[in-house]
Amino acid sequence: MRRIESQLNVGSEEFRTRERHNRLLATDLKERQRRARHDRPQRDVDRLRRQNKKLVRERIEALLDPGTPFLELSTLAANQAYDGEVPGAGIVSGIGIVSGREVIIHADDASVKGGAWYPLSVKKIVRTLDIAIENRLPVVHLCDSAGGFLPAQADLFADRHLAGRIFRNQAILSKLGVPQVAIVLGHCTAGGAYVPALSEYSVIVKGTGAIFLGGPPLVKAATGEDVSVDELGGARMHTSISGTADYAADNEDHAIAIAREIVGQLKKQEKWPLDWARPEAPYYDPSEIYGVIPTDIKQQFDMREVIARTVDGSRFHEYQPAYGTTLVCGFARLWGYKVGILANNGVIFNDSALKGAHFMQLCDQTRVPMLFLQNITGYMVGREYEHRGITKDGAKMIMAVSGAEVPKITVICNGSFGAGNYGMSGRAFDPRFLFMWPQSQISVMGGEQAANVLADIKVRQLARAGQRLSQAQIASIREPIQEEYKRLSSAYYSTSQIWDDGILDPVDTRNALGVAISATLNAPISQPHYGVFRM
Amino acid sequence: MQHSFTIADRQFTAWLSRAGDGYCLHVDNRPVPVSLQCGGDGACVLHVDGCRHDAVVAVDGDVVHIHLDGATFAVRYTDPTHRYADSASAASDDVALAPMPGVVVAANVRCGEHVEAGQTLLIIESMKLETAIKAWRKGRIATLHVGKGDTFERSAPLVTLAPAEAGER
Repeated sequence: MRRIESQLNVGSEEFRTRERHNRLLATDLKERQRRARHDRPQRDVDRLRRQNKKLVRERIEALLDPGTPFLELSTLAANQAYDGEVPGAGIVSGIGIVSGREVIIHADDASVKGGAWYPLSVKKIVRTLDIAIENRLPVVHLCDSAGGFLPAQADLFADRHLAGRIFRNQAILSKLGVPQVAIVLGHCTAGGAYVPALSEYSVIVKGTGAIFLGGPPLVKAATGEDVSVDELGGARMHTSISGTADYAADNEDHAIAIAREIVGQLKKQEKWPLDWARPEAPYYDPSEIYGVIPTDIKQQFDMREVIARTVDGSRFHEYQPAYGTTLVCGFARLWGYKVGILANNGVIFNDSALKGAHFMQLCDQTRVPMLFLQNITGYMVGREYEHRGITKDGAKMIMAVSGAEVPKITVICNGSFGAGNYGMSGRAFDPRFLFMWPQSQISVMGGEQAANVLADIKVRQLARAGQRLSQAQIASIREPIQEEYKRLSSAYYSTSQIWDDGILDPVDTRNALGVAISATLNAPISQPHYGVFRM
Repeated sequence: MQHSFTIADRQFTAWLSRAGDGYCLHVDNRPVPVSLQCGGDGACVLHVDGCRHDAVVAVDGDVVHIHLDGATFAVRYTDPTHRYADSASAASDDVALAPMPGVVVAANVRCGEHVEAGQTLLIIESMKLETAIKAWRKGRIATLHVGKGDTFERSAPLVTLAPAEAGER
């Protein structure tokens, strides 16, 4: 397969300016991730140490096979919620290797509010288990949660995708034959008690681990019964009397060792036999991506330069290179796995939309996973394009992206605006994984235009009420609206709300995609079938 | 179709095929049994038609440097999609056409000016997106079809470069 010939001038001033800018953004991302992972109030760390508990990341490290990759998901969940006091939404999730098996981990972080579940914690656990279902990944639960955060119960309890969904997902996993192992490292109270109960295997630590529907204070209040934690739901009781847990462990390391042994004897998953070749590093240096991404989201760049720095050997077989040129389509390999790539190179026209729908069907027919690289302001507007049916051509893309059976993975590299987000496999279209780059923006329309529309409405309202506004007053209305719109369309807000599976340093994208593609191959792929395409 | 290689400005074609437990090299329509065992440091033992040669191999992108029997060779692989592409086809592209309808926000060059490949000629804006029209090769600006503030339709000519002279491609 031929190599992309990069047009990038790495000696240019433009390259250096962009590189400086984007390296700073990557450094900022790393710092935010470091804080979310490690900065905790000392009293919480001291409390866990007194209880002979490991920190959540120490537990995960002990669980994983040394030297294997771990793809952490949604590290910065809740970074703009709850006054920033619930880093990672109090949950760590990610894909790693345990005893040679690919698994997904859900771990409560007891150093954050005692591991209490906030609404976004619930969303993160549900998403983790959705990933397990879609990709047939065995789950290891590291349970140490104080239970639902009561003041926010209305936002985490009753609705379809709230707390109950965790347990529904566990039951569905079991039904699909995807095993779960729970390690009870702290108290699992109320709903949380169902996590080990719904797992095929559960290990519980003597002394610190406990499972009960209602803890001792609640029992006392309800029935007047005085009962100790150990009697009510300790390791010895559950593994010898109730049968709610399976293995009692003497300490955390012991529990993790038992869990590793359990995972090691799980049936090895047969993976989808995707075309694979020996991986080859990109010919062009991936760190040059920093010099590709413009400093202003309005500036266009050639996504081939990103592809060249992401795929094996920078080799890319471009499909229909002269047709519908604003959507680049083609085949490449990523860590040896064959993928079909759809990458935006400008506004989507009728021909680009047709090409996209056609290429997606081609990938589906040939059982090749699809990688979407988004930088999309939307579909072309105007009389000429409506007459040519731009809306129905966009609908064809949506029909194809929704109906495709092969795994889809989406990276929002820069802009993700309006219907472009839909046609290019946005979150609502169930890509198996969706990642963002730090400078990317996502909203129903571009920030400047939307803020102008919102500000104009406000100005007109005031004008109707008889108020005359000076230019300075109008600006003072416009600016906060613009600022807020900018915040709500930033990658950090998106990842805070778990609209994505995490923000990637662009340079790490290749590695993250390697782990992600490998994970998707645990699930079978159905035969292609679609709805009706409006021709 | 065989693979193409260049060694010291000479073109060679060859193909490696499986033969029993080993490999066969096809050169000049003649199959030759070959085998290659490589150590970690690039030192290799090559057998061609039963004769043993010691070689040192270093790979640098598409170029493989080989030290063999006291001589050094640089072997460059040429992708067949490049080798057989008609090199004249690129020359017909003297005109940059508008990728989409829009407006010119900046014109950075004047008629008659010499430009380098990759130099920004125009910046256009369409659908809130700025696109730089860059010189696709070295050359001289023959015609600037639009100026700052001009609007244009899709596929309208924007810039024409004077026909390429030798050394400009």
